[in-house]
Amino acid sequence: MARAAAAALIPWLILVALWELAAARGWMTTTLFPPPSSFIGFAIESDFRVGFGKEGMTIPVAIFASAFRVVAGLFLGFIAAVATGILVSMSRVASAAVLPIVRGLAPIAPIAWIPVGIIVFGIGNPTAVFVVFTGVYFILTLSTVAAVQSVDPRLVKTARTFGASRAQVWARVIFPAVLPQVFTMLRLNFFAAWMAVLAAEMVGLKNGVGMIVILGREMFNPNLIMLGICIIGITGYAVDALLLFVQRRILWWKAP
Amino acid sequence: MSSLQIRNVRKVWQGARGLTVEAIRDVSLEVSSGEFVAILGPSGCGKSTLLELCAGLEPVSGGAILIDSEKVAGPNPKAVMVFQEHSLFPWLNVESNVVFGLAMKKVRLNERWRRGREVLERVKLVKFAKHYPHQLSGGMKQRVAIARALVGSPEFILMDEPFAALDFQTRVLMQQFLLEVWAGFKSTILFVTHHIDEAVLLADRVVVMSAAPGRVLEEVKIDLPRPRSMTDPQFNAYRVRLTSHMEREVMRAAELE
Repeated sequence: MARAAAAALIPWLILVALWELAAARGWMTTTLFPPPSSFIGFAIESDFRVGFGKEGMTIPVAIFASAFRVVAGLFLGFIAAVATGILVSMSRVASAAVLPIVRGLAPIAPIAWIPVGIIVFGIGNPTAVFVVFTGVYFILTLSTVAAVQSVDPRLVKTARTFGASRAQVWARVIFPAVLPQVFTMLRLNFFAAWMAVLAAEMVGLKNGVGMIVILGREMFNPNLIMLGICIIGITGYAVDALLLFVQRRILWWKAP
Repeated sequence: MSSLQIRNVRKVWQGARGLTVEAIRDVSLEVSSGEFVAILGPSGCGKSTLLELCAGLEPVSGGAILIDSEKVAGPNPKAVMVFQEHSLFPWLNVESNVVFGLAMKKVRLNERWRRGREVLERVKLVKFAKHYPHQLSGGMKQRVAIARALVGSPEFILMDEPFAALDFQTRVLMQQFLLEVWAGFKSTILFVTHHIDEAVLLADRVVVMSAAPGRVLEEVKIDLPRPRSMTDPQFNAYRVRLTSHMEREVMRAAELE
């Protein structure tokens, strides 16, 4: 684990070193592309606070706000999608009624839901959570239905031979069997959800890490833009690492 | 005295667009308490289907199956099935897999673990109680699957080619293991296989089934003392007799395709 992390860090260190070198030698305009030493220095100097007055916030609070929005949206979306997918799979009529609609809504990019969220929930956390939720809910519902269909019939027969009722087969066999597969889909859709949160922060919410970049543009502060971009990358990476941890340590089993 | 009676059973599968396939035609068979019966036949002769009918996983299309003079109408704790590999629940550890049937019947927790522990001891798997299936070898997985069947003390254990996916060495050990279990637990075993040697080695009686639709061609009583040896000339006589039957049926099955 530690070795792998160290190995992943090396290319980054080389990139940063080249960047610093290019800036020091004047190969690139530092006013547009300030190197890490410049924007990290800027962050320390400004005491990890960005913006003024109403738009002011500290960087840790911004990171926490964005990460909370995406994790809450993913969590709710995952639970709702697994529940819907399983309930719909239990009845042919329900599948026929619900799935065409879900299939029609699934291709809509999460970003497209931002105006809807703002109109319905106003400006605030519920909108961001809603955007992430809708971004993953429909696709994960479809993926749950597909996972239910691919459950090994031998597992179902085994459960039935040991006296499992219909409800027990769903709860004790099909439900645990589909979880890892649906969670893998969740992780694949995380990036789109993360982008949607940032976009929502940029156009409406006025806080979170997406807002740091917009503040940088408004104040024409390249240090702030670069700082915002780096924080977005690192926070996204951290949330993805969390999802990977859940995938490997909590929902680790593979269907036979 | 428990008994399993298969009376003129027929099974037709309903396929898509009104297509039907007759899997089993007019099969009759009686298995009495404590017997080890092997059902031998080429692939696709409906022998697995026959077990699923006995286990109550599928309804019969004609005839009847009786366990202790009662018609089988659904899954029955008196007759449980053991499948080929990959039938353990990968998210449950060995112990939880073994007591799965007791959990379905909502047996009290401490009673559940006590009986699970007891069976694991008898099949020498206690050390692996907390292991998960992916940490076990193929042979161990099947031992767990057999332990899981034994924990509810069923009268009949229906085994559907349980060792087919194992390598030769593991299969020999598992056959040995199964005979010990059978002697120890005094259950009745109905064992489906397409291995002639396996059938002769294990069974009191071998039932030969024909290619589709499956019918009973012959019943052969294996009159050899245990432990049996595959190199024994008498063993070989049975082997030759069953091989000629199987060859003919395999050829017929190939022509049908």
